[in-house]
Amino acid sequence: MDFFVQELVNGLTTGALYALVALGFSMVYGVLKLLNFAHGDLYMVGAFVGYFVIQWFGGPTGLAIPVPVLLVIMFVLAAALVGALGVAIERFAYRPLRDAPRIAPLITAIGISFFLENSVLLLFGGQTRVYNTPDFISLSSGISIGPLNIDTVQIMVLVLGAALMIGLQLLVNRTKLGKQMRAVSADREAAEMLGISVNLTIAATFFLGSALAGVAGVMAGLMFNQVTNLIGFIAGLKAFTAAVVGGIGSIPGAMLGGLLIGIAESFITGYISSTYTNLFVFAILIVVMLVRPSGLLGRAQLQKV
Amino acid sequence: MKGRMSIAAMALGALAVAGCGSSGTSGTGSASGGSKACVASIGFEGPITGPVAVLGTEQLHFAELALAMDNQANKTKISLVQGDTQLQPAQATTVTQQFTSNSKILAEVGPAGSQEVTAVGPLFGRAGVAFISGSATNAALTTGPNPTFFRVVSKDSVQGPQDANYIVNKLHPKALMIVDDQESYSTGLVAVMTPIFKAAGIKVDHESVPQTTTDFSSLVSKVTAATSVVVLPWQVAANAQQFGRDLAQQHKKALIFGTDGLFSPGTFTISGSYVSSFGPDITAIPADAAIASAAKTKYGKFGTFGPPVFAATHVIDEAISSVCKAGQTPSRSNVLAAIKKTNEPTSILGQPITFDSHGDLINGKFFLFKIDAKGNYQLIPSS
Repeated sequence: MDFFVQELVNGLTTGALYALVALGFSMVYGVLKLLNFAHGDLYMVGAFVGYFVIQWFGGPTGLAIPVPVLLVIMFVLAAALVGALGVAIERFAYRPLRDAPRIAPLITAIGISFFLENSVLLLFGGQTRVYNTPDFISLSSGISIGPLNIDTVQIMVLVLGAALMIGLQLLVNRTKLGKQMRAVSADREAAEMLGISVNLTIAATFFLGSALAGVAGVMAGLMFNQVTNLIGFIAGLKAFTAAVVGGIGSIPGAMLGGLLIGIAESFITGYISSTYTNLFVFAILIVVMLVRPSGLLGRAQLQKV
Repeated sequence: MKGRMSIAAMALGALAVAGCGSSGTSGTGSASGGSKACVASIGFEGPITGPVAVLGTEQLHFAELALAMDNQANKTKISLVQGDTQLQPAQATTVTQQFTSNSKILAEVGPAGSQEVTAVGPLFGRAGVAFISGSATNAALTTGPNPTFFRVVSKDSVQGPQDANYIVNKLHPKALMIVDDQESYSTGLVAVMTPIFKAAGIKVDHESVPQTTTDFSSLVSKVTAATSVVVLPWQVAANAQQFGRDLAQQHKKALIFGTDGLFSPGTFTISGSYVSSFGPDITAIPADAAIASAAKTKYGKFGTFGPPVFAATHVIDEAISSVCKAGQTPSRSNVLAAIKKTNEPTSILGQPITFDSHGDLINGKFFLFKIDAKGNYQLIPSS
């Protein structure tokens, strides 16, 4: 039972990261019908922001400020900067192509992905940067019950991840901005005729989605310690998969997809073998697609003819 | 030895020109032996960026250092053309195609990984370009498909049994986990080591994770109380560091036993871990003091990945120089022939360098280190 719970916690933690990145994917697809393949690289930029915040405040072994303050600064700064970067990408790369054939923004998204990877390479070099989290958040802190161990970083990721997902869900369903986002997603032209600023709504969507990716990047840095300019590719791929499994365009679907993939990876590694993790995870994806082509919580699009 | 000492003595002087030896293609220069310029270019393939950039840049630095020293000693004008492979076979293939189509490049140092050698060996073979790796150890590389391949390090069929027997005889595990990283270097070592563990009655849990994995929490949860050793024949030291942290986070007591890629002081520092390496710690070799000092002064701390590349570059430099001294113009074929005849009685690696007919280093050795409480690597007897 302990083993089961440990693997469940491991899976939920990883799944929360996937879900946060998948949310941005899904939000952008929801309003623009664009697969933003640069989204994983925004996660990478967030991880770098967190790394440099640690360095600015004295490095992991010589922090000049209390750890909770450091964490708040890391998360807020990563969210703000990566959110702003997302808005800039939308403004200069995607908006001019909004009415172009769908393939054009898709290729642009791939181009932006490479641009971000190589810009970071040029600016900061290719070597692995290390958070060294255990130097300022002890591995022995957290919850230990028998063989079950949940450290502070895992607890933080789970709590913060859940809070952000619930907060986003409330924002989309209970606020004016959320209503505008849903309206733009349903019918952009009709929304515009009703007086909704489509550009502003899309920019807000990009900001929120990118900010979540930035936060996820900091979480990943704290959990897995390593940051390179290439970490966004795999994260983006997993998040895209999560968004598709959950039903791309659906916010609860992205959350569910991320958590499911994280938990599936963890249990397959734990109970079967790490050798077959990706095989089984993607087999699950294929089965889900065969049974529900729109994803678990996605809705089939009706085509008017 | 005398020759090597004189090379070492020139190390500090060579520092001034070390930074000028790389990139670009061949230039024009003064004559060797008075009348004819000995001008050539050699390629360098390594993971200069990406997850193992720390190893690749160390290799590049030692290649540049060797080149600068050899140019000064031999009065040659050999330049280095860099190619970044990111340890990816596809990337290495692209770089190799660029190198083989550049007629000025006569030989190559690298690539770093066995999987890359597997990808590029036939291309170099077809072009007749000799290439010498300072870190590719998969035993299958010298069994036929790569006719122009050489290595200045020993191979997995030596390292695998040596490490496995050390674990069996000195660490006495009842159960162990061995995890490959799905690259040919890693799977090759696992294939050699696993039968030895099983023959010794050890319960083996063989796992496999892609090199891009950074979350090992689920895998670490499988490390049982009876599992006292986790063998990680990996190329990315930062991954092993994270694995070690996940072990500590879950209060698991298993020791990590790593190979080659894990020799990265400053990156992999899990106390009590073992690392076997194809390269020696040259800071502990008195005859290498000047080279070690020169490298440290110019590039900072280094591990065991740089010195073999120094040796590989030196072999190529000497081959080109010998061709020039024989009054010939260096070409791919005569440089390849000269490399085959290499017979260095000693080297930076503390051992002679001579190749057998397959391109393997004759009497190559492996070295074993244990990481102390301060994260320092201590050389220990390997048997």
